[in-house]
Amino acid sequence: MRLSETNKAWLLLLPAFLFLLLPIYGLLSALWSSLRVNGTFSISVYQQLLARDAFWGSLIYSLRIAIVATLLSLGFGLLFTRTFTEYINKTSGKLAAWIPMLFPHFVWGYLVLLLFQQSGFISYMAFQMGIIDSREAFPILTNDKSGFGMILTYMGKEIPFVILMLLPIYTQQNTHYQDLVQTLGGNRWHSFKDAEWPWIFPVLLETGVILFSFIFSAYEIPYLLGATFPEMISILTYDWFYSGDWSERPLAFAAMISTSIIIGIIAWIGFSLMNRKRWLLTKGNR
Amino acid sequence: MKKSGLAGFIVLILLLSACNQGQTQQSNPNDLSWDEIKQQADGTTVNIHMWGGDEGINQYMDEWVAPRLKEQYNITLERVPMDTQNILQKLQSEKQAGKKDGTIDIVWVNGENFKNAKENDLLYGPFRDQLPNFNDYYDQDSLAFQYDFGTPTEGYEAPWGKVQFVFQYDSNKISNPPKSFDELQTWIKENPGKFTYPNADDFSGNAFLRQLLYATVEDPKEIIEEPFSKEYASKKAEPMWEYLNTIKPDLWRNGEHYPASLTELDRLYSQGDIWMTMGYNEARAEHLIEQGVFPASTRSFVMEPGSLGNTHFLAIPFNSSNKPGAMAAINFLLSPDAQYKKLEPTYWGDNTPISVDRLPEEQKKKFDSLNRGETVLSTEKLENSFLPEADSGYVEWIKENWKDEIIRNK
Repeated sequence: MRLSETNKAWLLLLPAFLFLLLPIYGLLSALWSSLRVNGTFSISVYQQLLARDAFWGSLIYSLRIAIVATLLSLGFGLLFTRTFTEYINKTSGKLAAWIPMLFPHFVWGYLVLLLFQQSGFISYMAFQMGIIDSREAFPILTNDKSGFGMILTYMGKEIPFVILMLLPIYTQQNTHYQDLVQTLGGNRWHSFKDAEWPWIFPVLLETGVILFSFIFSAYEIPYLLGATFPEMISILTYDWFYSGDWSERPLAFAAMISTSIIIGIIAWIGFSLMNRKRWLLTKGNR
Repeated sequence: MKKSGLAGFIVLILLLSACNQGQTQQSNPNDLSWDEIKQQADGTTVNIHMWGGDEGINQYMDEWVAPRLKEQYNITLERVPMDTQNILQKLQSEKQAGKKDGTIDIVWVNGENFKNAKENDLLYGPFRDQLPNFNDYYDQDSLAFQYDFGTPTEGYEAPWGKVQFVFQYDSNKISNPPKSFDELQTWIKENPGKFTYPNADDFSGNAFLRQLLYATVEDPKEIIEEPFSKEYASKKAEPMWEYLNTIKPDLWRNGEHYPASLTELDRLYSQGDIWMTMGYNEARAEHLIEQGVFPASTRSFVMEPGSLGNTHFLAIPFNSSNKPGAMAAINFLLSPDAQYKKLEPTYWGDNTPISVDRLPEEQKKKFDSLNRGETVLSTEKLENSFLPEADSGYVEWIKENWKDEIIRNK
């Protein structure tokens, strides 16, 4: 039996669908649990959720941390890749850039904690060298309200990922476009904007969406390095879900669904922007 | 091809659902005599799911309990380390899925977890009064076994151990530990940055706050005996919030951040950042010194008006596929021998809920002469300061309100 092109595509997607069954079931069951109150359909849980200051505080704080960490990772990743393309493309360079990716987030978190906490290594060295009078004088960089420790951890872990995503573009880059820009009298900025940016933008966008979704909903790093207040949305959700009082569980489900919706919206915006760009690129028209 | 694939899929689903129905029917252990239960338990495997965060406890179960259970009852004990909340979550999911043949035979549980489990019908019971060891060696009328954080136990769980809340300090740095919360306040003022307590979401942090609540009302009995209500709690807790806000500026990191867990508090203590730590186990410092986490000069103390204590229990899930085995194993864990070994500092050092007076003379002597270690307070001191837990409603209430009163808007 011959398969048509469409059928073939569906068949190839089958493993992915089977794999997705579990998370999709989880998502639907969470949605179901958040929409049922005493056995009847109701959106009262969402009304309750939106009325909670704790929810809004956590949501805005999480958005801020996720956006800042994502943009910094993308920025530094881009800078590193552009500057060191030739070096990174060697085996030793690849190793140096990607070894940090071997360690799980939790290990990175601990590393940041051991180095940057007030009683950590850096504070100890600074104290021994007489830069600070006491170890308490060292600035609070972990479990801090501004989320410095969390952002630092994410940057350490995600910059190599950005390099991984960008490196193929830079190694296979067609330099004729740059030459063209220069021939026509463009400066370095023009060369970046017109000859580089259109190629890297879709990848940056895609990577950004992945990083944002991950950082926005991750639990381990906020637990280890976050402040008591404000808390990331994942911490709040976990507390609601596992609180002694199981009546708060629907709130946890509703908060999870809200997080998923936000990630969905961001991904949708990202992909539609990217598709437009790709479409224009293939038409040779930008 | 597509159709045959679909048919295969349907067959697979049918097969899977058929498996679900092929459960073995067993007689209800409630109607059986102890001898019959023992017979049914013979040669079976019992899966115990319990918190696995303490090496001493794990060693006790694996190295001491498991081989003896095999020898005496011919039961194979499988220990699965898992957080109690996750165990209950698993049971809840199994219940929703209609799974009658569960994989868990015993859970270690107490407090709000027990309340949730009992209220959601996740437990099998009552079974406790069928256990010979419970009937022989335990005080059946003790309030500590009738109520678990204010929830009536009704025989759904059997008492396994007893712990008390104590503080640990470094005797090289502090010569006179505070005797009351007032003295603690003075001490904090004089030693800024050297004290903190875990977040109210943490089990130990919450216990610290409940103990403070007892201390800031006129008489702890008010809280213990009065049924929980939000209005009553709000009224009674005012001095507690005031106390906490007074000490806040002199806490570690000026009270702007609190350790998220007891482990974090212990780490601060072991690094010398803070000079006191605390925990819900009067013998906990023994292992921690042995493991080199705490300095050897660590000692423990309790303050006025007393120290919070509770009993922890073993229960059987509603869908355990080996209830007789579970009962036999629990009976063994409640036996004087197993309790004595648990009390020794070698493995765990957990206090026993057994009535020592009811034991045969020889056993009684053994229990009385046991040295639990230098960091553990004397039995009299612990018993005299013992305060039972109030309604578990306070746990949740403190969690919620602590953030509003102490952390936010301040």
